[in-house]
Amino acid sequence: MSSPLSAVLGAFTAGARSRAELARNTGLRPDVVDAAIEHLVRMGRLEAKELAGGCPTGGCGSCASGVDDAPGCGASARSSARTGPVLVELRLKR
Amino acid sequence: MTTTKPSPTPSCHAGGDGPAAVLGAPVVALVGAPNAGKSTLFNGLTGGKRTVGNWPGTTVEVGSAAWAAGGTPVELLDLPGAYSLDSHSPDEELTRDLLYGVDRPVPDVTVVVVDAAQLARSLYLVAQLREHRQRVVLALTMNDVAARRGIEVDPAALARAVGAAVVAIDPRRRAGAQRLQAEVAAVLAGPVPEPRPQPGGLDHDDELAVADERFAWIEAAVSAGSRMPAGARTTVSDRIDRWATAPVIGPLLFLAVMWAVFELTTAVAAPIQDGLGNFFSGPLTRGINAVFEHLGLGGSWLVQFVDNGLIAGVGMLLTFVPLMIIMFALLALLEDSGYMARAAVVTDRLMRRIGLPGKAFLPLVVGFGCNVPAISATRILPGARQRVLTALLIPVTSCSARLTVYVLVAATFFPAHAGTVVFGMYVISILLVVLAGLALKQTLWRSMGQEPLVLDLPAYQRPTLRLTASVTWLRVKGFLRSAGGIIVATVTVVWLLQAIPVRGGASFGHVEPGDSLFAGLARLIAPIFAPLGFGDWHTASSLVVGFVAKETVITSWAQTYAAADPTAGQSPAQLQGHIHAAFAATGGGAVTAAVFAFLIFLLAYTPCVATVAAQYREIGLRWTAFGILMQLSVAWVLACLVFQLGRLLT
Repeated sequence: MSSPLSAVLGAFTAGARSRAELARNTGLRPDVVDAAIEHLVRMGRLEAKELAGGCPTGGCGSCASGVDDAPGCGASARSSARTGPVLVELRLKR
Repeated sequence: MTTTKPSPTPSCHAGGDGPAAVLGAPVVALVGAPNAGKSTLFNGLTGGKRTVGNWPGTTVEVGSAAWAAGGTPVELLDLPGAYSLDSHSPDEELTRDLLYGVDRPVPDVTVVVVDAAQLARSLYLVAQLREHRQRVVLALTMNDVAARRGIEVDPAALARAVGAAVVAIDPRRRAGAQRLQAEVAAVLAGPVPEPRPQPGGLDHDDELAVADERFAWIEAAVSAGSRMPAGARTTVSDRIDRWATAPVIGPLLFLAVMWAVFELTTAVAAPIQDGLGNFFSGPLTRGINAVFEHLGLGGSWLVQFVDNGLIAGVGMLLTFVPLMIIMFALLALLEDSGYMARAAVVTDRLMRRIGLPGKAFLPLVVGFGCNVPAISATRILPGARQRVLTALLIPVTSCSARLTVYVLVAATFFPAHAGTVVFGMYVISILLVVLAGLALKQTLWRSMGQEPLVLDLPAYQRPTLRLTASVTWLRVKGFLRSAGGIIVATVTVVWLLQAIPVRGGASFGHVEPGDSLFAGLARLIAPIFAPLGFGDWHTASSLVVGFVAKETVITSWAQTYAAADPTAGQSPAQLQGHIHAAFAATGGGAVTAAVFAFLIFLLAYTPCVATVAAQYREIGLRWTAFGILMQLSVAWVLACLVFQLGRLLT
């Protein structure tokens, strides 16, 4: 039996840095990789955060520097828009 | 099997007088992920006649209506949208309870709405349903979207793979509704199928193992039942990324791109900046002076303040606005095109290679825009120690405020290579961060953990004018706001100190620059910078004023030199001439070394009071004070080394 989720997690740990790389390294179809990432995020194994080099175009609510949905710079404005690249941070469950 | 269930409680959301289901009629439940077209299908099948109510004991709405499946009257339930039955939300919890509640029988048939364009994503729910003895029918929606993406779904092959009937439908056009009715009726009439086989020895308490088994089943099902377009594995973005994110070519390409940005910025902005500077020092100054003369205020301290304070200081800074616009626009173009996401991948990979944690590097990347939000960004780090260390390192990242000073100095001493010099400062900034990080890695960063990062890279796209203009304006607005706020205040304080005489007997506002309180204080400080090659009081005082904000290094220079030549105004070329002369006088024959020492000092010492305030907020007074002392010491030692070594080599 194949283990797509474990394969995707393994590829993360091995240093894959994009969905295309994940698909190449695991041999899985891109749509299966997408579904696997989404499911791992839902399971709490992966955390998706937006990465940006300054103030995001989507407003403070989509700030990469934010913590607990609060903007990183301390501003109070919020926005639910998400337009930048998404950083998926691996969080290995103990 | 026929179910009995409590009727949904009517609420204010009731959708109409839908036909009541026949008591004891078979129950058909409609489930599926949100946005898969489930409600559209429900409305299409029932003609929009439904009763909506909160399920007893919950706030979750469940739709209900009578329906006929191949002549058999059934009750059709529209259950809440759910990706899975894992109880990640109240909707999913209720859906799971209605399908598998211990005190309720399962529905007679469960129709799963499956998005053909996102088959793998939709099949997780099916995988879970097929683990039970249950009649399941798949209603395949979004077939037109899948076709546009080149995805070919074979319903018959998919049905064999999942062990359930599959019907392709289009709820919006009501196509396939009859086939679905017939299929549900046929399934209702048939036996309840056995659950799908699962491998023996599967540990059902191991959440990952269970989900993995389901995904293995999904992978087999999508492979058997659908075909991706041939080019799906390698898009244009993928092909570009093979180079843009390659381990060696990627960083080199990133450096080349950033060099091009700085070179283009300085080359294009230079003539515009000169023109703007000449306008401020020429027509604008003459016009304002004429107005003052007309009002009978000619020669007053107010004229001195406007000429030598506001126009010389703030005006000089405003000449950098075109430069900021060009640079921010170029960076916005790179961001909008998707390239900056690749640059982040490359940077992260580089950091990992030398053993630095990518997570700690994120706030540092933010610091290249502005140190203040970067200090706040240290909150993403897990431990207090890591936050303190990263917050201490952030001021070394070269923010955009320092860029204005780099450009002025580089254009003064290296006019043909200004862009390259500015680029070099950013590279030195990165090297300083890396060296400090390597030192910390062996000590305090050792416990940062091995948390890899992966980026969901958006496809490359043609940048849009609207987004580029909007991002550029947002950033230029920040620059203008600081120029209109703290910088005007600093310019005013500097002018006041310059207006107070300490020798020579002149009156307030009519002091020779060298006789002012400002010059007196600056002369006390200047010897500290003598070993660094820039012990001139103008330069020393500009660095002290620069503690407020780095842009004020320029305004201070412009003010002190403008006061020395009050009749002529102050064009950028004149200011550059004064700065050149000052470094030539203090550089001891090693002007280039003195200039680089100055730039290094500028890079390494405390960025601004706003950063200090952010540090105080995040890491407290003790660490903030330690940080300021460390920054000043490191800046002085590095600048001294650069100048003294440079002088030896000259």
